[in-house]
Amino acid sequence: MSDALLEFEGLGKSFGGVRALDGLDMTVKRGEILGLIGPNGSGKTTSFNVVTGIYSPSQGRVRFDGQDITGLSARKVYEAGIARTFQRSRLCLPLSIYDNIMIGNHARLDNGLWFNLINRGALRRQVEEGYEKARELVAGFSGELADRMFEPVGALPMIERRRIEICRALVSGPKLLLLDEPSAGMTHDETAQLMDDILAVRDRMGDLSIIIIEHEMGVIERLTDHCVVLSYGRKISEGSYAQIAADPEVQSAYLGVD
Amino acid sequence: MKDKTTPKTGWLGLPPLAVGLGAVAAIVVFGWQFLLAESEIAVLGLVALAALGGWALGKTGIQDSLNEAMRSHNRSMNGAILLGLLAVIFLLGEEHFPLLMLTTMLLYMTVALGLNVQFGLTGMVNFAGAAFFGMGAYTSAVLTEHTAVPPLLILVAGGAIAAAIGFLLIVPVVRTAGHYSAVVTIAFGVLFKTFLEVNDVLGGPQGLMVGPMKLFGWDFNSSPMLLGMEMSFYANYALLGGGLAVLAFVLTQRLERSWLGLTLDSVRLDETASACFGLNVVRAKVLAFTFGNVLAGVAGALYGMMISFIAPNSFTFADSLLMVSIVLLGGLGSLWGTALAAAIVVLLPEKLQILQEYRFLLFSGLVILMLLFRPQGLLPRKVRSYFPSWRPQQ
Amino acid sequence: MDIGLLGQYLANGVMLGTMYALVAVGFTLFFGVLDVIKFSHGDVLMLGSFTGFTVYIGVLAMGIENPWLMIAVILLVSIAATAALGALIARYLVLPLKSAPPLNILLITLMLGTAIREAVRLFYPDGSNPKAFPVLLPTASVDLGGFALRADSVILVGAGIAVIIGLNLLINRTRLGLAIRAVAQDEETAKIMGINYTMIVLVTFAIGSGAAAFAGIMNGLYYNEVNFGMGLLLGLIGFSAAIIGGLGNIYGAILGGFLFAGLQTVGAVALPFASAYKDVFAFGVVIALMAWKPTGLIAERSSDRV
Repeated sequence: MSDALLEFEGLGKSFGGVRALDGLDMTVKRGEILGLIGPNGSGKTTSFNVVTGIYSPSQGRVRFDGQDITGLSARKVYEAGIARTFQRSRLCLPLSIYDNIMIGNHARLDNGLWFNLINRGALRRQVEEGYEKARELVAGFSGELADRMFEPVGALPMIERRRIEICRALVSGPKLLLLDEPSAGMTHDETAQLMDDILAVRDRMGDLSIIIIEHEMGVIERLTDHCVVLSYGRKISEGSYAQIAADPEVQSAYLGVD
Repeated sequence: MKDKTTPKTGWLGLPPLAVGLGAVAAIVVFGWQFLLAESEIAVLGLVALAALGGWALGKTGIQDSLNEAMRSHNRSMNGAILLGLLAVIFLLGEEHFPLLMLTTMLLYMTVALGLNVQFGLTGMVNFAGAAFFGMGAYTSAVLTEHTAVPPLLILVAGGAIAAAIGFLLIVPVVRTAGHYSAVVTIAFGVLFKTFLEVNDVLGGPQGLMVGPMKLFGWDFNSSPMLLGMEMSFYANYALLGGGLAVLAFVLTQRLERSWLGLTLDSVRLDETASACFGLNVVRAKVLAFTFGNVLAGVAGALYGMMISFIAPNSFTFADSLLMVSIVLLGGLGSLWGTALAAAIVVLLPEKLQILQEYRFLLFSGLVILMLLFRPQGLLPRKVRSYFPSWRPQQ
Repeated sequence: MDIGLLGQYLANGVMLGTMYALVAVGFTLFFGVLDVIKFSHGDVLMLGSFTGFTVYIGVLAMGIENPWLMIAVILLVSIAATAALGALIARYLVLPLKSAPPLNILLITLMLGTAIREAVRLFYPDGSNPKAFPVLLPTASVDLGGFALRADSVILVGAGIAVIIGLNLLINRTRLGLAIRAVAQDEETAKIMGINYTMIVLVTFAIGSGAAAFAGIMNGLYYNEVNFGMGLLLGLIGFSAAIIGGLGNIYGAILGGFLFAGLQTVGAVALPFASAYKDVFAFGVVIALMAWKPTGLIAERSSDRV
């Protein structure tokens, strides 16, 4: 089994005249936490959208765990073992915490008509098993939240919603987790808490690799094993946080050229 | 979750089951009297009583006791409701018109439940509900008059035809945004009546005769005898229609309280995220749309047999909008809400004849008010509880 | 078939296309500015026609006889009244629901359209019967080798196209149009730039509704009849035309309007035995087109940012 879990080869994506991704080459190693940073519009979220099948790329290839997943539908990408959170929190607000997490567990659940309408005994067992699993995941973040599994998510504050989103992404046991600006909208303390949560998650789920898009450099510094810096859709630097922070190209991308 | 403790005693110290059974009995008596009421004063009085009762339900502890009864004593309550429905039918006995009204309401409720699955759960607006209902009716007209297909199978055929045509209609636009299915179903809803009118094969504007329902040799157009009393032949249809409505309710409820229901909700609320978690959005939409149309088609087939004569004028776009109104007034995704709203929308204009002429205006106005001020409907949908007696956090 | 009949169909098609385009432009403006489907549009058009009819009766009673003056007054009053109604609908029914799911606005306006339709049917004197709209345009016609080209058709089409061009210029060449386009593209930024958001929305709805009133009067003058149900099918056609052309795009709306009229004409020629079939045919093709190009022939704006 090779070390590389996810590989971008010359990935390109254009929207009309705008080149959101412009020849991006990147590798994510098995078991690592990779930070994806760059100024606004540099293509970070677009790369997530291309990986997860929301967009198909204009050029280039994406390889996951040895398999070419370029242009696969979002469903197929999920089945291959990639799960994600979204920049703008996309939970189903009127639905309960339990419901939202179970959406993430779709691959393990039986969606047949007969099973759901007639075979209620078997359904009940799945519902109960799912509850145990979801509760355990949530309890890993917050014991208090785990007692409120049937509250609608819309009533929760942002940090709790982010945690639920992560639980939703984790419940199916993915190999790769994509976190899109998980600390957005949070206070300093909440962000610190979230970082602990993410590290604890990685420790609990041994075989998990994470890509995290962030603007908050403290998070990147603390969490990541490796960083990739994007600008105008292409990689301009990579290395450890210390390395890229010192890179003059990175500095000028963020602050502008003199 | 506001109240986590299980009230062992409910309203006035009575056990919740007692309150529940009492409520069912009260509704049975009310329904029986309402359907029989002749003078408009009596009707208005009963409506006021119902409104008062509804308001009181929330203010006193009765609502909570009722919810508790439904959850802990689910089987008993369901049995009671079923018996209650039977009781109303038998109490009405020989009265033709009340039984006809009751059955019409039950059949409209069936269609509305289907629409609720399409729209309330899955977010697919269907403005051709009356057209699918009409398809069922016309299927039973054609099959009873020209073939020897057993009527029970005709009901199935009604559902199948509605499903097939619905499938053809929706597949082109299933991958697109909500307003496309709106256009398609509005166009279908508007053109269905026109199509029927220019089609002499289907009777044209004059309409078609429909043969009666026959079950195991028993002709539904003949009057049943009970305890020496000759009942209205509509009682046959009321029993079958009631059975159909109950079946539709149970299936719809089970659908909502399952992984499928969750999938439908997810598709309605966020298609993109749904796909990212492996949900088959197209399958979900087609399933929901078909489910709803089958309900409408079967109900329509029985309706045709009951009124024995159908014409394009009963299946207009305005009728489709009335059905959509039922779903919106009751509450999107709320099944008991649909039942209540069906009663209001179908029965009120029948009992208060002045309203008949104005019913489209009245209900479209009510829906506008509802959407502005109480979009969750009369009986808002609650957080999903897969199995009412399963409460792991208590 | 002979040239005369063909010419007749063609002239009729152009006429219908202009009307449909006017209605479609309204739908596309509303969608562009607020991302809403205002389904009461067709019935508002009908209300415009009825207003025109009522004004006609009033004008007649006042003793005015010059047909051009009558037309001017009719147009002025009904356009103004309908524009005002459009703005009111925006202010009290649409804007309050801005944060609700978008289908809610479609529903509420659909219900409003029904309410308007029923109100006219029930409360306008003899509302359920068609009304004879006066013949105000010159009835002369030119014989073009087999078919009669009516002078009123030429005038109506000319006027309709002028209005469409005028709307186009308004949207694309004026400051008001710029403000409308700014709001359509990005509400937040437009507000920051000092544009009065609510005012622009109301103005846009007023413009769209006014255009519909014009189409309604056109319809009345051409067919010499108005009836309470005329708005439903016209609204549906306008909506479909706007979608097929690409919601939010004025050129798309115009294209869609003429395309639909063209399809109806083809349907009428190919299936002469029942006029209803031409509608079924036209909608069938439109649905197929939607399946092929879901975002419209000219692309619809997508507002879903992932």
